[in-house]
Amino acid sequence: MSHKWERQADAVLGVAASALLFGMMVLTFLDVVGRYLLNRPIRGAFEITELALLVLIFAGLPLVSHADEHVTMDFIDRMLPARAARAWVRVMHALCAAIMFFLAWQVWIKAGRISGYGDTTDVLGIVIGPFVYFMAAMIGLTGLVHVFKTFVPGAAQASQATT
Amino acid sequence: MTESLVGLGIMLVLAFLRLPIALSMGVVGVIGYAYMRDWSWASAFAMAQTKVYETGRNYALTVVPLFILMGNLVTRAGMSQELFRTAYAFIGRLRGGLAMATIVGCAGFGAICGSSIATAATFAKVAYPSMKKFGYSDQLSTGAIAAGGTLGILIPPSTIMVIYGIMTGTSIGKLFAAGVLPGILATVLLCLAVQYVTWRDPSAGPRGEPMTWKERFATLQGFGWFAAVGVAVVGAANFGWLEADDAAVLGALAVFGLSLIYKGVTSVIALFVLVMGGIYGGVFTAVEGAGVGAFGALVFALARRSLDRKSLYAALVESARTTSMLFMILIGALMFAEFVNITTMPDDLKNFVARLNMSPVMVVAVIMAIYVVLGTAMEELSMILLTVPVFFPLIVHLGVDPIYFGVLIVVVVEIGLISPPVGMNLFVLSTLLPQVPTRTVFRGVMPFVAVDCVRLAILVAFPVISTYLPGLMK
Repeated sequence: MSHKWERQADAVLGVAASALLFGMMVLTFLDVVGRYLLNRPIRGAFEITELALLVLIFAGLPLVSHADEHVTMDFIDRMLPARAARAWVRVMHALCAAIMFFLAWQVWIKAGRISGYGDTTDVLGIVIGPFVYFMAAMIGLTGLVHVFKTFVPGAAQASQATT
Repeated sequence: MTESLVGLGIMLVLAFLRLPIALSMGVVGVIGYAYMRDWSWASAFAMAQTKVYETGRNYALTVVPLFILMGNLVTRAGMSQELFRTAYAFIGRLRGGLAMATIVGCAGFGAICGSSIATAATFAKVAYPSMKKFGYSDQLSTGAIAAGGTLGILIPPSTIMVIYGIMTGTSIGKLFAAGVLPGILATVLLCLAVQYVTWRDPSAGPRGEPMTWKERFATLQGFGWFAAVGVAVVGAANFGWLEADDAAVLGALAVFGLSLIYKGVTSVIALFVLVMGGIYGGVFTAVEGAGVGAFGALVFALARRSLDRKSLYAALVESARTTSMLFMILIGALMFAEFVNITTMPDDLKNFVARLNMSPVMVVAVIMAIYVVLGTAMEELSMILLTVPVFFPLIVHLGVDPIYFGVLIVVVVEIGLISPPVGMNLFVLSTLLPQVPTRTVFRGVMPFVAVDCVRLAILVAFPVISTYLPGLMK
């Protein structure tokens, strides 16, 4: 992370995603306690959690791309000479960017349709459209991250640790 | 058949060219779907939109970030140290005792953490220095840590089980329950492997320090109180004083409270019993169990003062990133599965197997053999994601229990994680312990890979080990 604005953008999304996840954990716990002990479930906890998950996933997406944490096979890195491998990675970032922009476009269409129907959640009546637009925007932002990685050399490559 | 094989081939080429697996699957899925619908791009794009939206907005999937968060919190809470110390107190005196203590400690850690790599990484920090001090060979100590780490994904909770459950629509709660007995079997077999190594070469794993029984039980401080809570919860529910749900939630609060006072191993056991018992007994849904577990892990970490604001943030943001990464893969895999399902591939595979006239167990055995071979060279998560959409319909058609198949999938992933040349656990150890040559790690893990293959054979031959506990669930 070389640029200040890059660090800041990463931090904004990171804090937002962390706060959401923390909130989901607390909400789920309080909902369980409230429902079983006090017979008072939190109204609409289900819907809030569901939408929070949606925001969490797609707010985290640019972070994943930025940290190079997508699961990839790296055989080719070992087969090509180092310089060629680095160049190839940038070509692939361009392809990723194209795919992300395509997906963003498709989800944007979906968002338009959902907003058109005026879909809301059952209990709290939260309007769903803006959330879907958010999904599209974040996928688009992820595309921009890949564009950035295509043109700015030397972006760090982290290893993934999931399994 | 041809279309899906071509699709599979193109996807492998794209993945090989270093396109992220999620996108490789998604691209082939969408284009393949359009092809199967006579190049109707409109329907393929609609499919893509639906998959992205519906996967993103799915309450049941909340279980993913919450269990990941639980694992990330306990990893930072220093519980692995305590688990190892207790296991060491009881079995450290035996030949190869520290290596066995590592494996038992990993099993205990696996009960609250769903990641094999995280388990191996924490025990590399905790157990390796002790083994070094007692003169253990690097081969045995790294082998035990790498193999013990894989227990993290077999003993519930488990990331791999969650992914498998979501991809195939199998109950995650039942999969978790199914992992318990195979997990115990695995722990025993891995300890036997340690015994074999030290029998061949006693100097590889000398005995630890002797301890009195008093010292041993001192590591279990607070056990009485936790046990009393357990008895009270079960008793209150049995005698009908309280609803089972209320009793479980009160038990949870009591456990959280006690863990503020007693910070030993017993609180770890209590957290496991609480979360898994709650899910198993049908008191909590998987999502609720994950929420309670993550919250409990947070309380534990705060009680141990091992969590400052910075590491809490790190745990949260890491969990968030892992979640997004997994969901992209899931979306890609679902798009790909949608394409495969409208080709003739599922039917052709069924016909092919029918012509071979093999029993379902034989088919499962052949699939598992393929996985073990693939797992030596492939990254395991990608292997599962690429192949499960293809094999799963066949398995269901043959009448094989999806839970049994899921446990076997986890076991082949475990084997893949520690089988050279490409095994993530081995790479993690080489990175964390740079003083140990990779060759030593590779050689040290071989006895454990061998017993893991034996275990796989046992589990294939005796499905009841995997299906007994989930069969008892409501």
